Amino acid sequence: MEAMFLLIAISLVFVVAIGVAFWWAIFAGQFDESDSAAKSILGDEENE
Amino acid sequence: MRAFSIFSLPDTLAHSQRLQRRHMLARLGLAWLAMMQVMMFAFPGYLRNRPMGAEDQSFLDSAIVLMNWVSLALTLPVVLYCAWPVWQGAAHRMRQASISMDVPVALGIVAAFIPSTYATYAGHGEVYFDSVTMFVAFLLTARYLELCARQAVGSGRMHEAIEAHRIVLSSRADRVAIWFTIIQLAVAFAAGAVWYMHAPERAVGIMVAMLVISCPCAMAMAVPTAIAAAHASLMARPSTSEHELAGLVRASERIARQSLLGAMLWHVLMMPLAAIGWVQPWLAAITMLLSSLAVAANAWRLFRRQTATSAAALPVAGQRPLSVDRP
Repeated sequence: MEAMFLLIAISLVFVVAIGVAFWWAIFAGQFDESDSAAKSILGDEENE
Repeated sequence: MRAFSIFSLPDTLAHSQRLQRRHMLARLGLAWLAMMQVMMFAFPGYLRNRPMGAEDQSFLDSAIVLMNWVSLALTLPVVLYCAWPVWQGAAHRMRQASISMDVPVALGIVAAFIPSTYATYAGHGEVYFDSVTMFVAFLLTARYLELCARQAVGSGRMHEAIEAHRIVLSSRADRVAIWFTIIQLAVAFAAGAVWYMHAPERAVGIMVAMLVISCPCAMAMAVPTAIAAAHASLMARPSTSEHELAGLVRASERIARQSLLGAMLWHVLMMPLAAIGWVQPWLAAITMLLSSLAVAANAWRLFRRQTATSAAALPVAGQRPLSVDRP
């Protein structure tokens, strides 16, 4: 039973951490342009 | 022909719409995250009715109580934050004394969440936290698809023609969906009352399943996805003639009608099954997601077919600009 308390607490910490990371990533604009990385390889801007 | 995805942000999107999409994505992602956890914590609850020794039974019961509290802690933010647009929409509609898709959803969440919270507090009874989080997550998935489809609209005369068509179609579809929903809600409450008289312990589960099914997610997606497919086909081949545009509009109308009929058929099939208690709330939520995805897939079929015919015609259409450009 003690092991289960610990594991549940750890899983909750993980959920919150992942949730916060996801939240940050969205509002930092990580998911705004899903195709710009794929296009950038076709560009010729070497000096950038 | 250029690749087209409704998930890539259109360049012309206003800042407020961008923000709306981000919020929607945050709600969707967090709902899925919480759903996966709550489903895991719900697992011991499904083992309760297995034959086992008295010691195991008491251990399992104490584990279930603990899991229920943890599930409640995870479901609360889903209900308050992720489902916020539902509360907002339902309250807005209630004030106007009309009904929309948000009303059955809000009823479904309340009907599942309040008894589950009480059962957690009391330490015995069924909880439906997994069904609540699944319902919210799947509903937001359908809404996110719909939002992306709506925002992926190009500009130009032909796109405006399709938009004009959308307004006509969606007002018609909404009328059908609202009546259909009202009837289903009435049936759900009637079935709940009947079950409450004969087998009160099953009444809540059955009513939750029926309220989940009565949510017209797939019906609400029928027109927006078909129209989005029409816009996408138009973007994939900008050199569309008036005649082809008329064909495209007709095809999108056919697809929208097909999806709407399919969704209604799903409701008609599922409601009696849920009323006699064969459909668990979580199963209802899963079939709701499947029906929404089927509607999206049907619209995608239109896009595929339209662009496949244009790909066959591409060598002819592509020849002219090529010979002009050649030095």
